Amino acid sequence: MSSAFYQALTTNYFPAMPSALDTNMRFKFSVVALLMEVIIIVLFGIFVEYREDNNPEILYPIFQDVHVMIFVGFGFLMTFLKKYGFSSVGISMLLAAFGLQWGTLMQGFWHMQEGKIHVNSNSMINSDFSTATALISFGAVLGKTSPLQMLILTILEITIFACNEYLVTEIFQATDVGASMTIHAFGAYFGLVVTLVLCRPGLKKKHENEESTYESDISAMIGTLFLWLFWPSFNSATASGNVFYIKAIVNTYYSLAACTVVTFALSSLLDQRGKFSMVLIQNATLAGGVAVGTCADLSIHPFVAMCIGSIAGIISVLGFHFLTPLLASKLNIHDTCGVHNLHGLPGILGGIAGIVVTAINEENRRGNRLTPGMQAAALGSTIGIALAGGALTGGILKLPFLGQVSDQNCFDDSVFWEIPEEKKSHEIHSNNYDEHSRFEATM
Amino acid sequence: MPSSYRNFRQSVPWLILSLEAVLIALFNIWFPYDGELMKSYPAFQDVNHMMIFGFGFYLMFLKRYGFSTTGFNLLLIVLGVQCSMLIDTFLLLLQEKNKHHLERLIEAAMSMTAVVISTGAVLGKANPVQLILMTVLELIVFHMSRWMNVTFLQVTDSISMMHVHLFGAYFGLAFSSCFSEPSPRTDKNARTPKSDLLSMLGTLFLWVFWPSFNSVLSDSKWRAIYNTYFGLAVSAVTAFALSVLTTKDGKFRMSHIHSAVLAGGVAVGYAAHSIKYPWIAMVLGLLASMIAILGSYCSQRCLNPPLKLHDTSGVHFTFGMPAVLGALAQVDLLIIKNWNNLSSLGYLVMIQVGAFCVTISVALLTGLIAGLILNLRLFKTIPVSKYFEDQFYWEFPHLAVGF
Repeated sequence: MSSAFYQALTTNYFPAMPSALDTNMRFKFSVVALLMEVIIIVLFGIFVEYREDNNPEILYPIFQDVHVMIFVGFGFLMTFLKKYGFSSVGISMLLAAFGLQWGTLMQGFWHMQEGKIHVNSNSMINSDFSTATALISFGAVLGKTSPLQMLILTILEITIFACNEYLVTEIFQATDVGASMTIHAFGAYFGLVVTLVLCRPGLKKKHENEESTYESDISAMIGTLFLWLFWPSFNSATASGNVFYIKAIVNTYYSLAACTVVTFALSSLLDQRGKFSMVLIQNATLAGGVAVGTCADLSIHPFVAMCIGSIAGIISVLGFHFLTPLLASKLNIHDTCGVHNLHGLPGILGGIAGIVVTAINEENRRGNRLTPGMQAAALGSTIGIALAGGALTGGILKLPFLGQVSDQNCFDDSVFWEIPEEKKSHEIHSNNYDEHSRFEATM
Repeated sequence: MPSSYRNFRQSVPWLILSLEAVLIALFNIWFPYDGELMKSYPAFQDVNHMMIFGFGFYLMFLKRYGFSTTGFNLLLIVLGVQCSMLIDTFLLLLQEKNKHHLERLIEAAMSMTAVVISTGAVLGKANPVQLILMTVLELIVFHMSRWMNVTFLQVTDSISMMHVHLFGAYFGLAFSSCFSEPSPRTDKNARTPKSDLLSMLGTLFLWVFWPSFNSVLSDSKWRAIYNTYFGLAVSAVTAFALSVLTTKDGKFRMSHIHSAVLAGGVAVGYAAHSIKYPWIAMVLGLLASMIAILGSYCSQRCLNPPLKLHDTSGVHFTFGMPAVLGALAQVDLLIIKNWNNLSSLGYLVMIQVGAFCVTISVALLTGLIAGLILNLRLFKTIPVSKYFEDQFYWEFPHLAVGF
């Protein structure tokens, strides 16, 4: 009570200071975005060609599912902040739409044939995948960056991701069908390092807008449900052949189911009065899909998938409960969406599960035996490249002219969006008093 | 109860039930044979998602009109698809052709796009009786115009279907011009953050499934999918860039995003199957998005006030203008492709331009006529003061508190 009062008092007496941080993006953002778009179109004109498909009838519905996950699922999953819905959905759409073009080029450069990049349904799925890394990192820095920074992050991250993916799949010949390592762990650790570099000491005390409301939690649930529903398609999309494809779907399904049940149980267990926590239900229920990704198409029994899912659920819930506060207070890593628990830790778990499964079973893909050594190398290189790349990107994003918001205006849509509201003036900090009095009224 | 409240008990249920009875009876009489199955069920499913979920939520941006938007959308679509099937059957009998049932369902669902777009133009201003009758009328006219294009002008099936956006938008505009304008002081047609977010959900669904929409009837399905995919991606990025550029203090505006991200899909639709390189589709997406945002700027300032038009959801620049751009681009591409063959070039261009002109003039004319007829007092037009109100049509258990 008193702290809330103090905060309201200070923000009232020191309203939005005329800072050096200029958030007006009128020319900066539009020029950069249009310029990049023109460059991409020119590159497409030079390099990209269409090619006929081998098995379009199967792949297209899967592609549709992945597409829904990326745009609707990830977008709405991040709408849980009470004043940040527009940015969550809007900016993730911008990043994904931009990233899929950039991803087509970056992944294409590694697989050029006769100097041309061939686009087919496989490459559409892969470029959608590559945008997922940027969206995961966006989750880590959600609310603390400007759209321009995110655009630059997307460009850099997808470039680095494409290199790492080439290293893992072509040089190490490791398997990562659901991309637990190359996308989820990569995106999460990349984002965590970026948020560490961009660390804002001013946000150590919880920001008043960094919380959810009833409605915002429900709209985030829309995202969760769409992700949950289509996760089997995500994990099976790049499987090579019908048998593996079915296996990946079944394993993912069991893993997700087990993970969801465990999450509910643990969520109730960890609360003092045995109540569920919506944050955990929104996020930790999906950890099973992440964790089973690497070994989804390997010959594992359903019970193994369910074990992986359960462990992922446990790790994720415990991570949200104990690790995230610890990271924020001790290491200055402020992870808004908790991507470390949803994508980072389960991703590593998936990588380890891949190592174990390839050590026990003999698995062959594309004529090569999968070895635990190579799987371990893939995991190590992914984490290492993500950390290094994140540090580099964070350094670039720290440049002062990219339109960072001030600490005070974090987690607020009205900095970058026109917010329709009839009775309220469009000033950014006009409603502190209302919030405060409403708070008092409820006490 | 104040006298300005209309009671729909005497009209709406009877209208719907009798329409349904007629439909059932006619379905019983005309039972066409199935042709060969060419399309897949997932494609139908995608189109259905777009119609019912996508458009249902896309138009949900008005703060007090959410129930009506999704509710009426569902009602109109189910009625319209049945109607459309019947009209289609009738026309097929005329042409002595056969098509598989699923394929005809897909076409019926796709032609509903025209109706949904037209509802967008009169959103909040027309009552259910007017909307239902408009649906039936518009579908009949749309099928007629499509039939004319296919039989007399030899336009292919898939391209004549792509005229659906053009037709819907201009029919809707003409229809809407017959309604009285809402008073400029009203704030009932304002948006709220919550309604805008829900509308974004619909927009995303439309956006995600648009490649299916453009490719489902096309012969070279793959190329249509790729072209739409890249065209849409570019138009989304451009929409954000231009929205920042055109608003007052360099902020994004949600209504820009809603309309301009879809413009690319509309524009690419016409030529999606024939564009050979992705960059052409991407340039089209860029231009479409530009037109949508500049169009929204111009039509609100210069175009709508003198014409006394009120286009609630901006269908003119979301669907109408990008469709015009797409049609022009298609003609352009035809000219470039057949440049060496000048003798047939003129003929080809004439056909495409002819189809375009037929569609747009039929749409404007019949839209105007339909608007004039349906605005007779007989149909219980709603007073201007009651525009954009859910309470007019729906029960509210939690009435009035905070609403």
